[in-house]
Amino acid sequence: MEVVNARSALLSNFEVLNLLRELDAEHIARTKTAIRVKKEEEAAGKNSHDTHTEEISENLRTVELEAIQYLSADYQPSLHQSDASITQLVGGLQSFGLSKAEKLQIVNLAPTEPVELYVIVEELEDRLGNQMEDLLAAVSKSLSERAPEHPNGTVVVPEVKQTRDEAAVEVYEEADQETWGYDANAMEFDDTGEGAGVEGDLDVDDD
Amino acid sequence: MFVLSIIKDTIAILPANFGVPPAQALISEINKKYANRVLHDVGLCICAFDLVEAGEGKVRYGDGCLWYKVRFRMVVFRPFASEVILAKVKSSDEDGIRLSVGFFDDIYVPLAYLPQPSAFDPNERAHFWLPDSEATTSHELLESATADRMYIDQGEVVRVRIEADEFYDDEPGPPKASEGIAVKREARRAPYSMICSIAEQGLGPVPWWKSSQPDGDVMDAE
Repeated sequence: MEVVNARSALLSNFEVLNLLRELDAEHIARTKTAIRVKKEEEAAGKNSHDTHTEEISENLRTVELEAIQYLSADYQPSLHQSDASITQLVGGLQSFGLSKAEKLQIVNLAPTEPVELYVIVEELEDRLGNQMEDLLAAVSKSLSERAPEHPNGTVVVPEVKQTRDEAAVEVYEEADQETWGYDANAMEFDDTGEGAGVEGDLDVDDD
Repeated sequence: MFVLSIIKDTIAILPANFGVPPAQALISEINKKYANRVLHDVGLCICAFDLVEAGEGKVRYGDGCLWYKVRFRMVVFRPFASEVILAKVKSSDEDGIRLSVGFFDDIYVPLAYLPQPSAFDPNERAHFWLPDSEATTSHELLESATADRMYIDQGEVVRVRIEADEFYDDEPGPPKASEGIAVKREARRAPYSMICSIAEQGLGPVPWWKSSQPDGDVMDAE
């Protein structure tokens, strides 16, 4: 076991929340189909031959659920964010000359008041002075739209990830591995998924 | 708060899982091995993000598993130094405050990093801050009016700045036995713990710094 790079990229809370919610939804879908298949087999009177029961890691479920709970708490701004709004916010922050760490923290904490901004950005007055108001306005704007909640708990993101949503629906119909399709291309990973534009901005390579 | 780490490892797939597409089986094994565990000098592993590359599965003599050399990315919880995060107060005692973020609770605020001047109220079992006070000893502070005190209660959401984090690699030594009975190991230190501060302006319970809202209490601390 070797850690090639302990810190190859930074992730925003919102991205991690979406990832965990997807994992959770997949897991629930898989359990449902497994139960359904089992019931069908019993109904058909077949010998319930255990073709494959996949063990679910307890640890993974625990940390997943606790992390989802923390990241979607009332006091977190992630409830009011969406992929589009974050991309827009990061774009808007470009003109202020902030470091990657500061931009990430602004996305994670969504400060709406000067005192909150004070703790995030060092030497606030020297660097930003009168631009503080503009920054705070940009943040409030990105928070104003509340992403609509999907009934099963996953957040429906407007433009991006249409294919992923369809894939998720297919998992409901048949227990097939469509969602892992993008992983099967082992050599090349397709990064057009969540975080496009956001993750690229927050890469730490030259920090 | 979260980073992506690239890790290289050799993972075994049991024959029972051969019917599952290898990518899925590998991710599942990786999660089983790493999820909710602390990797020394890396952080708390949350879940596998994706596979970067995986070789062909090879069979070793001795067992029937397919061994894959994999390189993958993992979502790891590791706030960087001087990052500001939101956490909940888990408990307070004479040495400081302990915070939790749900999936991780070894976050401590030692006395040195509390806003000055502050003291511990043994009756309330909570620390409090007395803004604009000239009292220097905790004895004087405890004589202040209760209404002036800004308490930091259990369950409150606080904004903290991470000052440092510590990894402790707990390697179990060979089992020691005295008189034929194995001696119990001493209390283990947390493999990963964080020290934070709420000493600056803007840090500490979130309600302290909220500017006047149309509803309710204005705790405008200065």
